[in-house]
Amino acid sequence: MHHRLAVRGDVGALRLDVALEMNAAWTVLFGASGCGKTSVLRAMGGVLPGAVVSFARPGLGGGWVELGGKAPDCRGLGYAPQSGALFPHLSVRENVGFAYSVCADPPQEATIVDEALSLFRLHALCERMPRELSGGERQRVNLARAFATPNACLLMLDEPFAGLDRGLRDELLPGMVEWVRGRGVPVVSVTHDVDEAMLLGAEVVRMESGKVVAQGAVGVVLAEERVRMLRNLG
Amino acid sequence: MDFPALGLTIRLACVTTLVLLVVATPLAAWISSGRGWGRRVVQAVVALPLVLPPTVLGFYLLVGLGPSTAVGRVVVAVLGHPLAFTFSGLVVGSVVYSLPFAVQPLVAGFAGVDWGLVETARVLGGSPWVVFRRVVMPLSRMSFLMAAVLTFAHTVGEFGVVLMVGGDIPGVTRTLSISIFDQVQEANYSGANRTAIWLVMLSFVALLVVYARGGLRRGAEVG
Repeated sequence: MHHRLAVRGDVGALRLDVALEMNAAWTVLFGASGCGKTSVLRAMGGVLPGAVVSFARPGLGGGWVELGGKAPDCRGLGYAPQSGALFPHLSVRENVGFAYSVCADPPQEATIVDEALSLFRLHALCERMPRELSGGERQRVNLARAFATPNACLLMLDEPFAGLDRGLRDELLPGMVEWVRGRGVPVVSVTHDVDEAMLLGAEVVRMESGKVVAQGAVGVVLAEERVRMLRNLG
Repeated sequence: MDFPALGLTIRLACVTTLVLLVVATPLAAWISSGRGWGRRVVQAVVALPLVLPPTVLGFYLLVGLGPSTAVGRVVVAVLGHPLAFTFSGLVVGSVVYSLPFAVQPLVAGFAGVDWGLVETARVLGGSPWVVFRRVVMPLSRMSFLMAAVLTFAHTVGEFGVVLMVGGDIPGVTRTLSISIFDQVQEANYSGANRTAIWLVMLSFVALLVVYARGGLRRGAEVG
């Protein structure tokens, strides 16, 4: 297990009561819109007000390091929010390099920024401002900004492929998987797309109305959803 | 034309603007960072100079900073003289009187920054100060310009507070607006007119700076 999380609290009209253990290299939070998936990510990030959060990762000595009481910037997280909101006053390169530039203990060489730009094919757009980008380009910058977080212990990706066409998604995904495997950084992503969850082949946490209702291999947890989807396709 | 009064007025407006930007920035950041009664009470206190007669404010400053109060005694112990009828006293009076003109644009600017960007910057490793400096301040730069210009222009046009706290000492506390008052009292209308034109020009240029920046910004966004 690489992280464990417990969240309780009211988020608007939703009562969030989640306890989960993340074991796989890529965990997918799956559920309908409004079931609390994004709130779970925000709780892990320490930016969900009004919730009681216990969030921990294994420490070096074998125990658990509690992150719930730490400030958001001290949790070692990469984050691609759902809105894909980029810093509008910063260029693509400055957006992607943001985490590196604010890191208190950055690696000596900023190669991670260039590697993330390459991974998401953004080198040609480096000097552009966010207002000059299309929706898909913005989302690639959003993802690159999360991947370029130095010393990250977990990447949180909220609807990572929203706004990307399927062809581009299928092209980018192998590189993304290779990146996180190579660096040993686990990922938790959010989706309501069965096809996307199947493609990632990850461990799936299925949520309904603020609660976890199932967790396990994607083929098992989403079997019914898959049948329904195939039936709908005719 | 009363050039010493013009120089003093510009110096007072510059010092007041600088002091207020330093004071108002953290105050506005705190006010805009949450809700609750504490913030609302402070916001109402900050806005008081907008509705109080300047003479009331000047009177309380004069009494509050005088040697009969604890604050006044501390000031005398530190500076060696009371603040009333000095340039420093004028600055204190101007800072209090123009406080809402600096705080309110900044509160509006900070509150207008997309909170999602702040959250993202925090999770990506930015400390509160770094996020404020790297994200919030650049995204509210027009509010800083507005706060600076309004403070400057408002200070240039002060009369009641300046007269109450500073009196009318040539070269020390006589500002342009007081100089005009003196010239009118002496029936020197042509002199008052020449001085008043300077006030009109200073205020117009200050406001033009704001509107020109706003127009350029919109043009850049459209382009």
